Amino acid sequence: MIHRFQDFHPFLTFFYYCGAILLIMLFQHPTILSVVLFIILVIHFIDDGFRSLRRWRVLIFTTGILILVLNPLFNERGRNVLFEVFGHRVTLEALIYGGITALSIITIIALFVSYNEVMTPNKLLFLFSKFLPQFAILLMLTLRFIPLMKRRLEDISAVQQSKGISVHEGKWRSKAKNGLLYVQVLLTYSLEEAIQTADSMNAREYGQGKRSTYEHFRFKKSDGIALAFLSILIFILLMGRFNGYGYLTIYPVMGSLQLSALEWFYVVVLSLFYSFPLLVEGGGYLKWRLLKSII
Amino acid sequence: MAFIEINNLTFNYPNNINAPALDELSLSVEKGQFIVLFGPSGCGKSTLLRLLKKEIQPHGVLSGDILFNGHTLDEEGSGSREVGFVFQDPENQVVADQVLHELAFGLENQGLPTNEMRNRIAEMVHFMGAEHLLHRKTHELSGGQKQQLNLASVLLMQPSVLLLDEPTAQLDPVSSREFLDMIVRLNEEFGLTVIMAEHRLEEVISVADKIVMMDNGRVQIAGNPKQVVNHIWNKADKTYIPSIPSFYLQITKEVDQHHQSVVEDIPLTVKEGKNWLQSQPFIDNGRKSELNKAEEIDMADIVRVNNLFFQYEIGKKAELILKELDFSLRKGEIYTLLGGNGSGKSTLLKVICGIHKPQRGKVYIYEKSLKRWTRNELAKSIGYLPQNPKLFFIQDTLEKELQYTMEQWDIESPYEATTLLESLGISHLRHKHPYDLSGGELQKAALACLLLRKPEILLLDEPTKGLDPVSKKQLGKILIQLQSNGMTVLMTSHDVEFAAKIADRCGMMFEGKITSESEPASFFRGNFFYTTMIQRLLRSTPCEAVTLEEAVQSWKISRN
Repeated sequence: MIHRFQDFHPFLTFFYYCGAILLIMLFQHPTILSVVLFIILVIHFIDDGFRSLRRWRVLIFTTGILILVLNPLFNERGRNVLFEVFGHRVTLEALIYGGITALSIITIIALFVSYNEVMTPNKLLFLFSKFLPQFAILLMLTLRFIPLMKRRLEDISAVQQSKGISVHEGKWRSKAKNGLLYVQVLLTYSLEEAIQTADSMNAREYGQGKRSTYEHFRFKKSDGIALAFLSILIFILLMGRFNGYGYLTIYPVMGSLQLSALEWFYVVVLSLFYSFPLLVEGGGYLKWRLLKSII
Repeated sequence: MAFIEINNLTFNYPNNINAPALDELSLSVEKGQFIVLFGPSGCGKSTLLRLLKKEIQPHGVLSGDILFNGHTLDEEGSGSREVGFVFQDPENQVVADQVLHELAFGLENQGLPTNEMRNRIAEMVHFMGAEHLLHRKTHELSGGQKQQLNLASVLLMQPSVLLLDEPTAQLDPVSSREFLDMIVRLNEEFGLTVIMAEHRLEEVISVADKIVMMDNGRVQIAGNPKQVVNHIWNKADKTYIPSIPSFYLQITKEVDQHHQSVVEDIPLTVKEGKNWLQSQPFIDNGRKSELNKAEEIDMADIVRVNNLFFQYEIGKKAELILKELDFSLRKGEIYTLLGGNGSGKSTLLKVICGIHKPQRGKVYIYEKSLKRWTRNELAKSIGYLPQNPKLFFIQDTLEKELQYTMEQWDIESPYEATTLLESLGISHLRHKHPYDLSGGELQKAALACLLLRKPEILLLDEPTKGLDPVSKKQLGKILIQLQSNGMTVLMTSHDVEFAAKIADRCGMMFEGKITSESEPASFFRGNFFYTTMIQRLLRSTPCEAVTLEEAVQSWKISRN
């Protein structure tokens, strides 16, 4: 069994993603962000060969390009004028500012896609049930209800179509009216059926005493070590950021795009943080190979 | 002192003071007994079961007492925990989206520590043999699996009494058999006390210790199954008696009008029936029974399906639901599609009434390709009744629904609706909300709305699901009546006995194809498992009867 990032305790994975988003928002520097984006893309590639990311490509490219183009279009501030179009000044500052925003948004989307793959509803439920038990129940019911309602709506639409009440044909007005009728049936029906769900919950003693939660995950030693490792990295990075490193000042005067030696150190630490899933995977793989070669 | 004692229990629902749901009912249950409650819909079975579980007692006025081990339900420590409850609908009882969460739900409510939960769940999953389902989503499970899951999550709470409210009514025969086997096992191996409300006595009568017939909130008769069967035969409605004891009683009474049959001899299972048959001379003189509906069937095809392919999702992995399917429906016949879950029966109905578009193949209705029918024309000539008639209604009373249908189809005379309701016997339900009706009533109400637009073809998806024997008999009558007025009926069913009784032709679906079809007699004679109780009983005798009526008829013929 190769130990994988997904197998860590939900709290640790959640911590990693929170840290990752925080750091993106703090280190607003084109070079640093590019490195981060690259690492996240590698994580996606190793994980499933971009399969889950591909579904988001339209969103990623359009928002990226839109921000990159729109920012210089509306923002004329800056000293380094690149060129003028119809009396509109396009400045280097605006371009770089747009670039940074676009990069961080793309990175955050990519991070969220990976988050979605790793943090299954199950893990989320586990995390919440500790702090907000009522919310966890609500979340669990909702998770069940969404696919259920969808299927019911399909059934209703099938039956009503056979009666000649359709949302696919006819005038716009009648289509809208029929659609509303469908939803009305769906709601009445679901409420009616939910009474039975409530009975079944009551019959299993819901709400009669203090609830405990089934702990699906145990906080192991490896989780502790990983948590310490990630915390130390975050601490170093935060100290660096508060001392003014790893950030490109654009207004009023644009700083240098070059990174200083100390800043390169922070880039390395940052890379260590972001590539944590890769390190885990790689370490696990090595161990596996070693074990196999011994046998 | 009995384990559960119910003394003079009377219960009134708040809106109905004059007609009590339970009327001076007394019943006692010993520890470890298997008790089956039966009776028509609305006889108070469900009310009685619900009153036994404190958390889900209905609101209303209650008098009389219920004693568990000598304690009333209101006392501290009377142990409502001791009582587990499984409801009818497999879908609605599920709370969580994942099987493991569902199992843990009740245990979490009891506040158990994780280790204890883990132990209990491990044990239960092993007992049920459900390891492979543990991490599945609940909505991916079949109805039978869902009901097993509901049972498991109740059992995890370690009750000593299990109450079941028609647990198999929504399941197909194979799943319901599996479910009942599990209940019997729990009763026999662990001494779990079981009280079950059930319509289909056929399967439970041989395993029950005591069966209780209820009517109008009273116990009509309770006792040993054989005694009760004998008693009902002499007094009450015979429809409740399963076909094997019924066959036996009919024949022995036929021989001797005053014959006091020995109660112990009444056969309940096929095995007992075969033993009894061996002592009977049963010679078939080759004459066919004359009960076959001898109406002339027009041989013209009204629906024809050629080489049909259908799948829900497009993709490499998506499985074909219908595959190379050829099928034809003759004008004026009643055709029943049988077959396992997922064999494509319901899908075929949906394709024929134009809800789903096939990927390949042709459907002809009246020799006109389905593609050339507009939706309105199609809705006018084909009436489709879904498995769940609740979804059929779009208005909040039957009256409004009828009104709406009349407007939609330009029917002016209100007379038509009135006669239709009268002929179905549901005039008194006009102003009720569809969801307040019982299963049988709901179905008739939906049929009324369907028939109002005068379709020529009726497609029924599992019309017998969850119906009590009386409603089922009525449905059979209605369908035969419609047929004599020229209606063509295509239905899917799991109910072999029903199909044998009313169908002109039966077809078996398997893997998206119709693998065999013929008229019921020869269809069921060829089957080993998928056949009626009477056929199983008479297998290896010369008699070729499939239904009870045919068997009695051909027995009479052979005597003369």
